[in-house]
Amino acid sequence: MDTSETYDIETPYPYIEESLNLDADTFETMWQLLSCIFDYWELAMPTSGAKSQLLVFMQNRMKINLNYYAEYKNAACVIHELNQKFGKHNGTIHLLTSPEAAIKPANTRLARARQMVSNEFITLALSIGGFKSFGAKNALGYINGGNVEGKAPYRIFSDHTDEDSKKDI
Amino acid sequence: MTSNNTPNDILIIGSGVAGAAIAQKILEQHPNAKITMLEAGGKMKMRDFALHQDYLVTGNMPYDYYHDFAYPNRDTAGENESLGKTMLPMQGSRLLMYGGSTVHWGGWSFRLKPEDFELKTRIAKTSQHLSGNYDLIDWPISYSDLEPFYCEAEHYIGVSGDSNDTTSPRSAAYPYPAFPYTLEDKPSIEAMQSLGIKYSHMPIARHGLTASESTHPPCQTTGTCKYCPFGARYAAANYLDDIQTFYDYPNFSIITNAAVESLIMTNKHKVSGVHYIDKNIDQHATQTLHADLVILAAGAIESSKILLRSQNDFWPKGLGNDKDLVGRNLITHPYLMFEAELPENPLGLIPEMDFPTMVSRHFDSPEEQSEGKYIIVNPPSSIGVKLAQEMQNGKPLNVIRDELTGKTKLQLHALVEIFSQRDNRLSNVSKRNHIGLQETAINFDQGPDFEVRIAQIQTEIDKIFTAMGAHNTKLKTISWRADHAACTTRMAHSSSEGVVDKNLKVFDVENLFICSNSSFSSLGAVNPTLTLTSLALRLAHHINENVLPNRQAEAGNNIAIHEAN
Repeated sequence: MDTSETYDIETPYPYIEESLNLDADTFETMWQLLSCIFDYWELAMPTSGAKSQLLVFMQNRMKINLNYYAEYKNAACVIHELNQKFGKHNGTIHLLTSPEAAIKPANTRLARARQMVSNEFITLALSIGGFKSFGAKNALGYINGGNVEGKAPYRIFSDHTDEDSKKDI
Repeated sequence: MTSNNTPNDILIIGSGVAGAAIAQKILEQHPNAKITMLEAGGKMKMRDFALHQDYLVTGNMPYDYYHDFAYPNRDTAGENESLGKTMLPMQGSRLLMYGGSTVHWGGWSFRLKPEDFELKTRIAKTSQHLSGNYDLIDWPISYSDLEPFYCEAEHYIGVSGDSNDTTSPRSAAYPYPAFPYTLEDKPSIEAMQSLGIKYSHMPIARHGLTASESTHPPCQTTGTCKYCPFGARYAAANYLDDIQTFYDYPNFSIITNAAVESLIMTNKHKVSGVHYIDKNIDQHATQTLHADLVILAAGAIESSKILLRSQNDFWPKGLGNDKDLVGRNLITHPYLMFEAELPENPLGLIPEMDFPTMVSRHFDSPEEQSEGKYIIVNPPSSIGVKLAQEMQNGKPLNVIRDELTGKTKLQLHALVEIFSQRDNRLSNVSKRNHIGLQETAINFDQGPDFEVRIAQIQTEIDKIFTAMGAHNTKLKTISWRADHAACTTRMAHSSSEGVVDKNLKVFDVENLFICSNSSFSSLGAVNPTLTLTSLALRLAHHINENVLPNRQAEAGNNIAIHEAN
């Protein structure tokens, strides 16, 4: 039996590994939601890895606040109901665009699904490459690599009179 | 009261960049030295991807607990007291935690200019038109005295910069190349070119790619610099972790949640240790630590307050305060945010970075010194639409695309030098804040010349905006936040005009040093952290070369014992 003490190990958010395991239906519904965000705003989907990035993101949210387990379950339930009412694609778009999902405080299940889940997924979608559809080369949250000469990881402005402008006192 | 009777060679109060740099440099030369660092705040997990993603989607700073609360108002108890005509907000200005304010700083890493070290001499010739009652001094050191340590500091904190930039003289290159100008800089740069205004690359504390061994990964341009998941932006917390993890310094220790109450004096000229409260042991009982040398590196505000609290028979008005200078001459940088409207944004510029890449020090010049020098920065996030926000509001793609290239607001920011006034001061309040430190009272008045200077600066900014084709220039905000609070224990030639000498030693006390922005003689127009780091490395060099050898030779005392262990 391991009797070593662990009480003074630093931890910013204690969590239980098993609590991060969402059921397959909920995760697949969240993946459909993220895919719909990419489709609706015609965002550039990464060629690979988007689904696993979604999984890591959701687990990270649950690590910090286990309430996200319930938020994701709630969002999946809301999407199922909306899809039944408006049709599979239109139901999810209703979640993304309906003004009634934006009311504050978020005291309906619809509003919570929008403000706690799909809004965060929009930020995630942009940060894993979706922003590229708007012409930029880098964006907040995107890990685009280091400052390599001649291969700057963002759109640059070449300053042809650079040397003159540097002259000071 | 309990006492740890094993004396320290050196006690460092504060775990920010000054304390971390001093500790590392001394330990490199004296690896067995017994050094204890006391930090009033606690620790927070750095370089954590879940916290990074939380910051990304919510904007919540994981270290917000360690900020001061806002001043009291009708509805909230708040913290600290603002007593003067001009409010210097403390909320958000500093972090009271392991790693200090470097955990949240932007990393702008400027050198002062040579003329900044001669403020009194130079301004006396030209400032007859100023109406304020300013208390100016020259630095007791020159730019050339500090220049080698600027080079060392740029390598220590890992600055990416343009080594050909002659804005300030330099004898060595930056460790990493400058980040190129972003496309967002295009309007500003073209406007400045047309007006003959000089500009340069922003020297920024972001590690670059290196072929040498390093525990500090390069910047990955994630755009979430306030909480870097990699530790590519200098944060003393990461460096202190590394000192304890990767190096064999058996007598180095850091005590967090330990708030220093006062300094203990053996006689008028010698400090022997500190009284402090260790919240890990008891929230109220005072502990004692003894040391041969004490270095106050707790930031301008807390370093000054500790001196003022250290009243005893030898120093009845507070340690180093016989001339009533401690806590006085407080200055900071007013941060001006100007805004204008561009009729269109044909390139669809949107924020791609979380730090600026262009700065103009054109008005940070000898010609502007008597009025108050200033720098102009093109902020990284002012132009274009906020894509996530627009989508979260449910706007369709065609609307967002139209907004992206349509009318947009943009900003230019300016950091302005102001001058010390004796009556601008800080002091202790008996009430304690949520960290356990005595709160701060700030009495500050911006002075009679400030509004005139602001109008002059706005005129120049308006010219730049106009050259861009923008209109409706307005001064959106003046932030007087105390981020760069300084000059409250000034470095001076004599005790009649300052609190510490050119080696940062408190006048008339042989073994007490103050290394914080409080020891600046003046502040110039630029962010102070690189200068503070340079002073810290210079102090560590002085201790290594002059203080420790002398003390070992004098007594064969504790230092020699610890070296031998």
